[in-house]
Amino acid sequence: MKKKVLALIMAGAMTAGMLTACGGSATSDAGSAPEATAEATEEAAAEEAAPAEEAAEEGTTDLGGISDDPNTLTVAAWDANFNIPALEAAAAAYKTKNPDFKLEINTVSGSSDVENAVTNAAQAGDYSTLPDIVLFQDHWIQQYVSNYPDAWKDLSGANIDWSDFGAEKLSYSTIDGVHYGAPVDNGTAIFAYRTDILEECGYTIDDVTGITWDRWLEIGREVKEKTGKYLLSMDHSGDDLPYMFMQAEGLSQWKNGDPDIAGNETYQKLLQVIVDGANDGVILLCNSWSEYTDESIVGDQVAGVMNGNWIIPTIKQVAENSGKWELTTIPTLSGKEGYASNGGSSLYITANCQNVDLAQDFLAYTFGGGEGSIETYDNALKNGGVITCCISAGKSSVYQEPDAYFNGQPIYADIVAMGANVPVVEQNDFHYNLRTAVGTAITNATTAGGGSDLAAEIQAAQDDIVRQMNL
Amino acid sequence: MNKKMTVTRKQQFAGWIFLAPATLLIFIMSFYPMVQAFITSLKTGSGVKLKWGNPLFVNYIKNIPADKIFIRSMGNTFLYLIIEVPIMLVLAILLAQILNNRDLKFRGLFRTMVFMPCAVSLVSYALIFRTLFAREGLINSMLMGLGLISSNINWLGTTGTARAVIIIGLIWRWTGYNMVFYLAGLQNIEYSVYEAAKIDGANGWKTFWHITVPLLKPTIVMTAIMSINGTLQLFDESVNLTNGGPANTSITMSHYVWNEAFGQGVGHFGYASAMSFVIFIMVAVLAAINMKVGDTRD
Repeated sequence: MKKKVLALIMAGAMTAGMLTACGGSATSDAGSAPEATAEATEEAAAEEAAPAEEAAEEGTTDLGGISDDPNTLTVAAWDANFNIPALEAAAAAYKTKNPDFKLEINTVSGSSDVENAVTNAAQAGDYSTLPDIVLFQDHWIQQYVSNYPDAWKDLSGANIDWSDFGAEKLSYSTIDGVHYGAPVDNGTAIFAYRTDILEECGYTIDDVTGITWDRWLEIGREVKEKTGKYLLSMDHSGDDLPYMFMQAEGLSQWKNGDPDIAGNETYQKLLQVIVDGANDGVILLCNSWSEYTDESIVGDQVAGVMNGNWIIPTIKQVAENSGKWELTTIPTLSGKEGYASNGGSSLYITANCQNVDLAQDFLAYTFGGGEGSIETYDNALKNGGVITCCISAGKSSVYQEPDAYFNGQPIYADIVAMGANVPVVEQNDFHYNLRTAVGTAITNATTAGGGSDLAAEIQAAQDDIVRQMNL
Repeated sequence: MNKKMTVTRKQQFAGWIFLAPATLLIFIMSFYPMVQAFITSLKTGSGVKLKWGNPLFVNYIKNIPADKIFIRSMGNTFLYLIIEVPIMLVLAILLAQILNNRDLKFRGLFRTMVFMPCAVSLVSYALIFRTLFAREGLINSMLMGLGLISSNINWLGTTGTARAVIIIGLIWRWTGYNMVFYLAGLQNIEYSVYEAAKIDGANGWKTFWHITVPLLKPTIVMTAIMSINGTLQLFDESVNLTNGGPANTSITMSHYVWNEAFGQGVGHFGYASAMSFVIFIMVAVLAAINMKVGDTRD
């Protein structure tokens, strides 16, 4: 008997040991691989929305800390094709004001590296691993400021004219009336269409501008029937369509801090569009980010793309379709033109920054609409395709140039103009939890997913969010 | 003090000294974090704003039972367990039997080939499987080319097939690993036992069933415990192959725990720790049952 008890205890100890050991190795394994493939296959724009990153990221990324030199700032950011050229442009621009200035850029593999580093530093109560400035995704920052308030230094001392920025963009980085972030890019959503395919079905870009979703579905069914192409695709493992659809209506999925989706008629109608679209072959709901970008967009299966404008470099990967695309606004339920935004990031000063004045001055002079902003944003656009949301910087001549890929449309000026119309809607810490729950609801409501009652599914999603918020 | 010690005492004392470093390390690296995790599991809230649960065991008695996704992830995990483990172990034992045949040429080569999948990183094989089973992936192209299907199957986007792909992946990855244990076990069985059976007129099946299986029992118990243990903690496949989808129908418990702690930036560390303790208890109970069933002593 004694032996047995001992055996049991040892079995327990063994499994316990394995639990910790296996758990540890498994998660750290999962760290970089999806990132690597994502990086390899996607160009400039993948960063903000790549759910592969969101899904499989963990690990202690050392962001390098700060420098001893009084004229050097350190910054951690991701995407060598997009954000890094923007930072380099800013560093060069600031040198005209401060010739000794140096910006040490630590290129990390994805946004989640920064998020994890902040989480780890905050959990450990030791911020010394963080650099002076980090790039941070807009949708996440609210949660990180509220969860880890000590990790940030606000920008109230910086000389920035906040009215020079799109209000919607600022609504992410402003928490309780305090500005925390200097905006970098502009997440304004575009709806790009293949005009040659529309023409085949007897439509022009004007016929899909300012239309109702019902009309859009009709056109989509016709396009599918005649050409076999989908009119829209989305990575359904991180589905941003409900958010953008609601914002185009000028609404949020949140009301006074609570989810506002169950029993919300507008919301249900919008989700019904997605469900009908998926059932009728108008919308392709992809299983992963790679299926969305590599297969549906680069694989030339779609006649339309709707997402934050950072998706443009992905569209441009198909060289033979040059000149065939044009972009416009988003349909709405009423048929007015819809404006939305998705993704995008801003620069934040961390608690570890010892030279806050320099950091604030640098951000104000460059990204903050100061004297160096035209130089910064012009080069950021030329070298990285980063579109500003700074209204005055968007008026420079570089922004007025036509884009041959988009049939000579001056897309950058158009996007900046659209950005000014994006309505400010309520944000919430639980944005991504809601996105996941609603994604589940949509899957279950489609025919392929069992075709259950949409209203009941939305109610279930709402219940799940409320449960999570109370944990 | 030393003078009072007898020789046996001294030897025992030396034994404890030798054990001490390892014991200490296990305590610091394994048991201390476990205790801390248990303490965390009594807290609620997110990020650094964790506070004690009210009542203390609120995560265990109220939050977990009310969590439909956790219940679903538990169902998924047990589904994988029930289907995958028996298939895998039977395949492994059959392969071991075949590859233990002394008359087989290139045994070493075949053994290496069967073991090879184990040398592949979990993440990379999961990603390769995802590519194979993508909508425009190799599997669909092959089936289309052979004329077996008329339109692409959405393997990872349909509940049944997504689960099947995970199970196929697991079998591919782990069969060879278990086979190695059986091979080692088989080599410990005296060849004369088989010769005796042959003289007694036992055919291949009888030899296998009445000699190989009973003599391999300790190995079978061990592989079963390890497989059950490993399956209950399944993580990489769920994250990288299907991302838990569609609609959480292929998510595993560990994946959901990770989601709650890190996946969505919310940082429900208390709740996630509570769930991992529930998993821990399940693993311990299953292991205990397994040992009980497999134990032939006293």
